[in-house]
Amino acid sequence: MPAGAVQLLTWALVVTCVVGPFLPLLYASFRDRPLYEDGGVFSTIGYRQVLGDAAFWHAALNTLQYAVETTALAVVGGAAIAILVARTDLPARGVLGKLILLPLLLPSLGIVLGWIVVWGPGGYLTVLADERLHVPTLAINTIPGMSLIEAARLLPIAFLTCEAALARADSSLEDAARSAGAGPLRVLRSVTVPMLRPALLNSGTLIFTLAIASLGIPLLLGAQRGINTISTYLYLSWTNGVSPDPPLVTAGAVLLLLVATVLLLIRNRLLGAEARFVSVGGRAGRKALLELRGLRWVFAAIIALYLALSTLIPVLGLALMSVVVILTPLIAPWKLFTWAHWHTIAEGQFRSAIEHSVLISVAGAIVTTAVVTLATLVAHRSRFPLRRTLPFVMLYPRATPGLIIGIGFFWAYLLTGAVGDYLRSSIWGIMVAFCVRDLPFAYVVMYPTLARIGEELDRAGRSVGAGWWLTSRRIVLPLLRPAILAAFILMFVELLNDYDPALFLVKPGTEVIGTLMLSEFIQGTTGPVAALALVQVLATVVVLGVAAVVLKTRVTGENDA
Amino acid sequence: MPEINVRQLVKTFGGQRALDGVSFSVEEGELFTLLGPSGCGKSTTLLSIAGFQRPDEGSITVAGTTFFDAGTRVNIAAERRNLGIVFQSYAVWPHMTVFENLAFPLKVRRVRKRDVRARVTEVLDLVEMGEYAGRYPHQLSGGQQQRVALARALVYSPEVLLLDEPFSNLDAKLRERARSWVKELQRNLGLTTIFVTHDQDEALSMSDRVVVMNRGRIQQIGTPEEVYRRPANRFVAEFVGRVNLIDGVVAERDGATVVVDIGDSSHRLRVQAPGADRASGTVTLAFRPEAVTVLPSNSTNGTNTWEGDVHAVAFLGDHYEYDVRVGSLPLTVQSGQRVAGDRIKVHIPQDALSILADEPA
Repeated sequence: MPAGAVQLLTWALVVTCVVGPFLPLLYASFRDRPLYEDGGVFSTIGYRQVLGDAAFWHAALNTLQYAVETTALAVVGGAAIAILVARTDLPARGVLGKLILLPLLLPSLGIVLGWIVVWGPGGYLTVLADERLHVPTLAINTIPGMSLIEAARLLPIAFLTCEAALARADSSLEDAARSAGAGPLRVLRSVTVPMLRPALLNSGTLIFTLAIASLGIPLLLGAQRGINTISTYLYLSWTNGVSPDPPLVTAGAVLLLLVATVLLLIRNRLLGAEARFVSVGGRAGRKALLELRGLRWVFAAIIALYLALSTLIPVLGLALMSVVVILTPLIAPWKLFTWAHWHTIAEGQFRSAIEHSVLISVAGAIVTTAVVTLATLVAHRSRFPLRRTLPFVMLYPRATPGLIIGIGFFWAYLLTGAVGDYLRSSIWGIMVAFCVRDLPFAYVVMYPTLARIGEELDRAGRSVGAGWWLTSRRIVLPLLRPAILAAFILMFVELLNDYDPALFLVKPGTEVIGTLMLSEFIQGTTGPVAALALVQVLATVVVLGVAAVVLKTRVTGENDA
Repeated sequence: MPEINVRQLVKTFGGQRALDGVSFSVEEGELFTLLGPSGCGKSTTLLSIAGFQRPDEGSITVAGTTFFDAGTRVNIAAERRNLGIVFQSYAVWPHMTVFENLAFPLKVRRVRKRDVRARVTEVLDLVEMGEYAGRYPHQLSGGQQQRVALARALVYSPEVLLLDEPFSNLDAKLRERARSWVKELQRNLGLTTIFVTHDQDEALSMSDRVVVMNRGRIQQIGTPEEVYRRPANRFVAEFVGRVNLIDGVVAERDGATVVVDIGDSSHRLRVQAPGADRASGTVTLAFRPEAVTVLPSNSTNGTNTWEGDVHAVAFLGDHYEYDVRVGSLPLTVQSGQRVAGDRIKVHIPQDALSILADEPA
């Protein structure tokens, strides 16, 4: 096949998959009834209903408060930890800097369930503190409480962005300020933090967008007490509405998409601004800017505490819950010990959900990695006329709420005849939605590595007579192999742990781990759900651990060759 | 028939003219150098010939084959041009051994396996890298990587060799050896070569002909001697080597010789140079610091001999360099011998002077 055809097909596939769900969504939002009912006509009734619903506006206000609080907490926390790790003599900064990323990689739904088990109303530590110790506890089923959990989950994004900015920033800017007579704290305030401003704005916008779209935490905590955000409002109207799948939900989803898109465009602007802040240089292994002296252990302890509260204790809570009849501090756990929950998840719908998830993760990760690899090559290493549209298209789903992808694909499958019917009634429909939603991760991993492979290497291939496809296969792809492997691993983990697009696509018999956990937990089946969540956590940790070792030996192995 | 024919290339990057009507011909077997400061368009020209840049206008023909023609919309893909190119970064593929790097172009051409081995070995021996066939690029020094890159560009016997600043990543000692080695190889193989550099020493020592470029335009084409001794304009004079520039007014003309008044008419210069017969009005004269003879102040006066104050003397190993003021005119001159005294005389031979044309606007 000629190179031009490969490039065109890749481009068409990516654009169709990413743009595909949005057109049916838009179309469905302007109909007076669901698409599967006959006799629908053009109508703005969906928009009029949603905008005229007081509950929607109430949910919008809640969402705003939720997103603002989450963003503030996550950005301040993430930036502070980034500065501590990158610019001070914090003990074990290397290890802490890696562990901070855990909340981002671990299954968010599982961790949230862990939080609820431990800190929620009636949770293990809540009851312990309340009834045994008589100390007040944080009510996590309020908006500030939910924000705290959401912030703990999203903080690594701010940390990563700020740490990367600090690593790139030329440290001689700070050295210059010190020579000019500024003390370390003054340098921090006057040089380091201002240099971080683009990173703060950029990660803040992303966190804000993700918080607006978050479904799991508000659904499990707030919605139980009638505190709705826009996402739970839409989800509950979708599932509990008088008539199923009302136009109101689709219209609301379009409005939410509009907000997310505007935020994405703002963020792109900011990224452009950030590039101007990049200064060349930055030597590795330089002396820490700020010596914390005695305080270094205090700060390390605070970070360790954050990690314990946000990750370790919820996971331990899940582990405990999965082996006791009921989880309560009032009776010693060993008197309640049981393997029953683990037996439960080894059969029936739990077993098939695990099988579905693994199937989706493996197949989806292979397909997505292959497509994204090709698309990245087309975007950055070809003369394909429309190549410049690909990076934006591949990053777009990152800022798109999962529930919008879910609703979009729901309508898309309805409109595409036999193919859509097949996808709708099998797990592959869920896989496509997950793949589109998580594809930006593969691109984000792939692109920096490709950018580091000098363009003269493929030009050399062309100059000796190899065409685009041969050059890509024999020269660029082999050099890209570590990134391809990393992208595959990340896709596997993300696909395994994703759930919210599936909430709108799942049918009896096509459950995946996430959707089953959510529905069973809401029905009160906590033991098996905890075991299931633990399976997810362990699978993630094992895969990431193995990948880290393999990737590391690969790199050093190549150096020894 | 000229081997390479470049006609009226124009390339615009965001409103900026990177190439502005570049034309030249390269003869068969010639080493032809594109010389100029960064951003002058020399690399854009080379990449256009290689097929990695697409000019907006013009045409490129190599050995009778049209590679590119904006008029007839011909644009042969880079991989079909059968050129050898050595990049500034060498671009030796890091995941392949030296042998595999050289074998790749042959495999692309579906050469039989046995022949591949024979040809690769032959070319590796040619660049004196035979014993390194099994090594990976990161196990080689910069100079060795450069030889591999050159071998890879030669292994399929291309019609033309393109060199894009191949020596700029080598240290000074190695660079000089590499220069003479590449030049010798090029002459022995009789390979038509286009060479891009910003280093005038490299350009002068290696080339059969040099084209000096600035801001996307050709300033002068000529042999190294012509470009150095008879710079066409101020830019060439200043970019290639060091130069003294003097403004004056034509006072008398006698066939191919003119007499030019410098500043106050107490100093005049007799000039015998191409273009002298057409010179009139205000002109700029140029001469090289080493083209003069430095004399003690008590020596006899003569044509084009001026006396001046010595401001500074620097010893540079093989010669002395003097900063001299003749009246208010600053000059830099060189001499093999140290001439003592605060005042010296400088004799400028009349055929050492060039009359500079205006630069093309």
